[in-house]
Amino acid sequence: MLKTLVEKEIREIIGSPKFTYTFIVCLVLILLSFYSGAVSYKDNVTHWEAAKAENLQSFEGIKEWYRVQENRIFLPPQPLATLVSGVSNDIGRTSNIEPSGEVTADDSRYNEEPAYAYFRFIDLEFIFLVVLALFAIMLGYDAICGEKEKGTLKLCLSNAIPRTKFLMGKFIGAFSVLSISLIISIGLGCLLLPLLGVHLSSEEWIRLGLIVVAGLLYFGLFLAMSVMVSSFTQRTATSFLILLIIWISSTLILPRVAVMVSGRAVDVPTVDELGYQKAMYATEQWKSFLNSLDNYTPIENEDMEEVMANFNKFMDSISIAREERMNIYRSRLNEQRYNKELERSQIAFALARISPSSSLSLASSTLAGTSPELKDQFYQQAKNYQTSLKEFLNEKTGMNMGGGFIMTISESDAPEKDPIDPTEIPQFKFEPESLSKSVQKALPDFGLLILFNCIFIAGAFVSFNRYDAR
Amino acid sequence: MNENNKQVILEAVNLTKKYDDGVLALDNLNFAIYENEIFAMLGGNGAGKTTTINIFLNLLEPTSGDAKVCGVSSHIEPLVVKKNLAYVSENVMLYPNFTALQNLDFFSQLGGQDSLTKDHYQEVLIRVGLAEQVHNNKLKGFSKGMRQKCGIAIAILKDTKAILFDEPTSGLDPKAGYEFIQLLNDLKGEGKAVLMSTHDIFRAKEAADTIAIMNDGKFLMKEKASTLFDKDLESLYMQYMAGHAPQPASEGV
Amino acid sequence: MLHTLIQKELKSITVSNKFLVTFMICSLLLIMSVLIGINEYKQAMTQYETVHQMADERIQQVSSWHSVSYREHRKPSPLMIFTSGLSYDIGRWSDINRESTVKLKNSIYSDDPIFAVFRIIDFTFIVQIIFSLLAILFTFNAVNGEKESGTLRLIFSNAVPRTKYILAKCIGTWLGLLIPILIPILLSVLIVMLFQIEFSSQEWIRLVLLIFISVLYTSIFIVFGVFMSTMSRSSNVSFLLSLVFWICFVLILPRGGVMASGNIVSVPRIAEVEGMKVSFAKNKWENYYKDMDKRLSGSEHNDDSEEDGISDDMMWANLKAEDSLRKEVTREIEGYEESLLEDWKNKQKAQQNLGFMLARFSPAATYQLAAMSLSNTDISLKSSYEQVMKDYREEFNSYIDKKSENAGPGAGSIMITMDSDKGMDLKMGRDEAIDVSDRPQFVHPKTQLSKILPDVIVNISILLFMIFGLLTGAYFSFMRFDLR
Repeated sequence: MLKTLVEKEIREIIGSPKFTYTFIVCLVLILLSFYSGAVSYKDNVTHWEAAKAENLQSFEGIKEWYRVQENRIFLPPQPLATLVSGVSNDIGRTSNIEPSGEVTADDSRYNEEPAYAYFRFIDLEFIFLVVLALFAIMLGYDAICGEKEKGTLKLCLSNAIPRTKFLMGKFIGAFSVLSISLIISIGLGCLLLPLLGVHLSSEEWIRLGLIVVAGLLYFGLFLAMSVMVSSFTQRTATSFLILLIIWISSTLILPRVAVMVSGRAVDVPTVDELGYQKAMYATEQWKSFLNSLDNYTPIENEDMEEVMANFNKFMDSISIAREERMNIYRSRLNEQRYNKELERSQIAFALARISPSSSLSLASSTLAGTSPELKDQFYQQAKNYQTSLKEFLNEKTGMNMGGGFIMTISESDAPEKDPIDPTEIPQFKFEPESLSKSVQKALPDFGLLILFNCIFIAGAFVSFNRYDAR
Repeated sequence: MNENNKQVILEAVNLTKKYDDGVLALDNLNFAIYENEIFAMLGGNGAGKTTTINIFLNLLEPTSGDAKVCGVSSHIEPLVVKKNLAYVSENVMLYPNFTALQNLDFFSQLGGQDSLTKDHYQEVLIRVGLAEQVHNNKLKGFSKGMRQKCGIAIAILKDTKAILFDEPTSGLDPKAGYEFIQLLNDLKGEGKAVLMSTHDIFRAKEAADTIAIMNDGKFLMKEKASTLFDKDLESLYMQYMAGHAPQPASEGV
Repeated sequence: MLHTLIQKELKSITVSNKFLVTFMICSLLLIMSVLIGINEYKQAMTQYETVHQMADERIQQVSSWHSVSYREHRKPSPLMIFTSGLSYDIGRWSDINRESTVKLKNSIYSDDPIFAVFRIIDFTFIVQIIFSLLAILFTFNAVNGEKESGTLRLIFSNAVPRTKYILAKCIGTWLGLLIPILIPILLSVLIVMLFQIEFSSQEWIRLVLLIFISVLYTSIFIVFGVFMSTMSRSSNVSFLLSLVFWICFVLILPRGGVMASGNIVSVPRIAEVEGMKVSFAKNKWENYYKDMDKRLSGSEHNDDSEEDGISDDMMWANLKAEDSLRKEVTREIEGYEESLLEDWKNKQKAQQNLGFMLARFSPAATYQLAAMSLSNTDISLKSSYEQVMKDYREEFNSYIDKKSENAGPGAGSIMITMDSDKGMDLKMGRDEAIDVSDRPQFVHPKTQLSKILPDVIVNISILLFMIFGLLTGAYFSFMRFDLR
C-alpha cells in the first residue's frame, strides 16, 4: 500500500512541469556554484602563491639577518571556502609579522575588491539557503490542500488507507525524488571539481559530504514544513502565502535581525578604541624607555666591541622589559575584548538559531572552516608564528629582535657577506581546525535541524489527522 | 435485518450530524440499503445528501447514531468500512498529469486490488464507455463525462459491496446519462448496494429501487420506486418541498 | 470605461487578504529596518566621535615631530540608515604619516565577522528582495486568474477593447500596490525625523530620489507579473515562471555579472601589489644602507685629520643630510607604489565597470547600484576617502616637515656618538610637549549630488526602459491571449 502511494507520488512529481523547471534551475545553479567555486579557488591559489613568492623575493639580496624585520604571511585559500564562503571574504588575509608587537590581519577581500561585496558570491550555501528552501516550498505547498483542490483527496481517502500512511507516502515520495535529484546535481558538481583541477583531501570530502547532509536536512525541513502548512490550510494560495512569509522571515530576516539586535546588546569595545588605548600605553612606555636610556652610562673601555656588547645588553634588558609590559597590557585588552566577543556571539547565534537557516549557515560554515572563528584561528596561528619567527631571528642575529635599537658596526674593509637565504625563514603553515573538532562544533546545529524536521513532520501528522478532507 | 433474505449493506441508524456552527445537517436519519438495491436520495442543495456520504466515508464524524457498512460503523472502524466502499464524486477529479490507465492503476492498488493488469483496466474502461484510444491520454484533456467514466471504472475495479455516487448524472449529456443508468443496473445485477445522491428526479425514478426525498437532514418521503412508478415524482417533490405532504395516493387507478 | 476598470482593479486588490498581509509585512519590515539602521548609525557616530577624540588625545601626547602620526577615521553617512551599502565592508581609518601611504583598514566586518555571517538588513535590501517578491505575488495571476475564475469572458462580452483592459490592469494593480508600499516608506522616513537624525538638504533630495527609484523598481515587478500572467493560460505556470525569473534576476544575475567580469578581466590581488612594493622598498633601503655604510666609512677617513674637530653642529648637519636622503628614498618608494596602485586601480575599475554593466541586466542590480550611489555607500566611498586622505597626508606631512625644521636640529631624535677615545655617548634632543593644535584639519569628502546625478539618471533610465519593455511585452502578449 505504502509502496503504491510512494510510487504515485514519485510519478506525479517527476511528471509535473514544476519539477522539470525546478530541477533544471537547481542543476544549473549547483553546477554554476561548483564551477565558479572551483575557478575562484584556483584563482585564489594563484594569487596566494604569487603573493608568497613576491614576499620571498623581497628578501633577496639582503645580507644581514637583522635587516629582516618583518615577514608577511597569508591566509591560504581553503577549497571548501569557495563552496561555503562564510566570512572568508570579510576577514583580513594578510598579516605583517614583526618579531614583536601586535599581530593584525589586513586586506579583507571585500575591502580590497568592494565590487564583490555588492552582491556577494553565489556559493553552495546560498543555493541551499535560498533557492533550495524555495523549491522545497514550491514542491510541498500543495501536498494536501492541492489534492483537496484537485478533488483527489476524497477519492483517495474513500479507500481503506490510514491517513498516516497517506502522509507518509507523500513524505517518502517527495523527499526521495527531490533528494535524489539534488544528490545527482551535487554529485555532478563534485565530479566537476577534479576536472577543473581542484583536488580535495579525503577529509575535505567528508566535510563536503556533511555539508550536503546538512543541506538535505534543511531541505527536508522545509519540505516537512510545507506539507505541514498544506495540511492545515484549505487553499493552495493561502498555504503558499504563509510559507513564503515563513521563508522570507527565516532565511532573510530572522538571522540578520537576531544578530544585529542581540549583537549590539553586549557592548564590545571596538578594535579602534583598543588600538588607541594600546597606542597611548605604548607612548607612555616609550617615554619611560627613553628615560631609562638617559640613565645609561657607557662603560669605560678601550675595546669598542665590548662597549657595543654592553650597550646592546643594556638595550636588550630594557627593551625586553618594555616589550613584556606591552605584551601584558595588549593581551589583557585583547582578552577582554575576546571574552566580550564570545559572549556576544553566543547570545547572537543562540537567538539566530530560532531560524533553521542560521543553523544551516553556522553548521556549513563551521564544517567548511569559514565561520567567524576562522579569524581567531588565523590570529592564534599568526601569533604562534610570530614567536617562532622571533626565535629564529634571535638565533640568527644573536640579538633580541624587535626591541629597541640595534647597534652594529660595519667596517668598510670587511669582506662582502653572502646574501641570506630567505627560504630559511620559517614558513607559515595554516592548520585548519581538525575534522573532529569541526564536527563537534557543528553537531548542535545538526541536532537542531533534525529536531526541526521531527517537529514539522509530527506537526504534519497531527494536523493532517484532523484535516477536513471534504 | 432481512428483506427477502437479502443482506443489509449500507445502513444509517439514527444518524445525526450537527455542525460546529449549529446547523443540523442530519436529523435522526434511518435507512437500510440491501444488496441488489439502488437507493436514491433526492434533495436540494444543503439537504444533507453529501453529508450522509461524507459520514459513510468517515470524512465527518456523526454527532450521534451510526453509519454502517456491512454492520460496521464507519466512525469506529473506518478502514474496515472503506474496504467495502467505492466512491464516485460529483465531479470526478483525478491526477491531471497521469493517463487514465495510470490513474486506474494507482487507485485500484489503493483500493487493495494489486493483482490487476493493464488488460483489466482496459476492459473496464471499455465497459464504462471510454474509447480505447484515450486510455493513454493524460487526464488533463478529459471532459467531465470522460472523467466520470474513469471514476466509475475505479469504483468497479475496487469491486466492493457498496458504491456511493455523489450527483453522478449532473452535467452529463443525455446519452452519457443514459449509459450511466445502464451501467448502474448492471452493477445492481452484480449484487451491489448503491447509494446515490441526485437532483435529477427523472434519472432517479428510472434507476432507483428506493427513492427518498430529503430536506433539512430528514427524509420527507421514502418509497419503493415500484410504488411510485405511476406518479409524477416532480410534483410530489415540489409538494414535499413546499412543506405539506401530499394526500396519500389514491388506491388503484 | 478605463476609470471603471481601474476602480474595479483597485477595489479587488484593497479588499483582499493579500493586501492586508502585504501591508503589514511591508510596514513591519521597513520600520524594523529603519530602527536598526538608526541604531547602527548612532552607534557608528558615537564610535566615530570616541575614536576621533582619542586620535586627538594621542597626537597631543606625542613628544617628537618625527613620530607624529595621525589616524583619520571615516565618518558615517546618515543615509546608511537606508542603504548600508559597503559601509561595513570598507576600512574605517587610515594612518596619516610619512611612513605609510593612505590605506583604509579595519572594516566592521573584518573586525566583527559575526555581523558578516548574515550581513545587514536595511531599507534597500527589503525593497530589493521583499518588495519585488510581493509585487510578483500580487500580479502573477492578474490576467489568467481572471480567466480561471471566469470573469474574463464576462468582461469581454462587453464592448471593452483589450488595450484598455490591459492598461487598466497595470495601472490598477500599480495604484493598489502603491498604498502598501508608499505608506510604510513614508512611515519609516517619519521615524527618521522623529529620531532627529540630521539630514542636510542635499541628503533629503537624495532620500527622495531613493524613494523614487524604489517605487520604480517595484513597478518593474508589477508589470513583469502582469506580463507573465498573459504569457500562460494557467496561473500555476505563470507563477512558477515568475518565481524562476525572480530568482534569476534578483539573486543570480547580479552576482553572476560581477563574478563573470572577475574571470574576464584579471586583476592582481592587493597582496601581490603590496608584495611588489615591499620588495622594491626593501631593495631601495638595502642600497641606501650600503651607501650609508660607505659614506660613513668615507667620512671617518676624512675626519682622521681633525679628530676633535667634529662639532655637534656638524654632526647634526650630517644627520640632516642623512635625513633628507632617507626622505628621498621614501619618496622614490612612494612614487613607485603610487604607479603600481594607479595601475592596479585602473584594472580594478575596468573589472568593476564590466561587472556592473553585466549586472545591470538585472533590475535588482541596477536598483542597488543607484541606491548605493545615492546613499553615498558605494564603491566611490572608498576611492573618494582615499583621495581626500591622500591630499590631506601631503598637507599634513609638509606641515610636520615645516614644524620639525622650526623646532631646530635634533628635535626628538637620539644621537649616539662613539669615539674610540671618549667611549660612547647618548644625547637626546627632545622637545617636551609639541603643539599640534595648528595642524591642518581634515575635511570629510562630500560627493556632490551633481556628480553622481548622471550615473543615477542612467540607472533610472534603465529602470524606466525595463518598465516600458515589459509593458509592451504585456500588451502584445495580451493581444494574442486566448480569452476562451
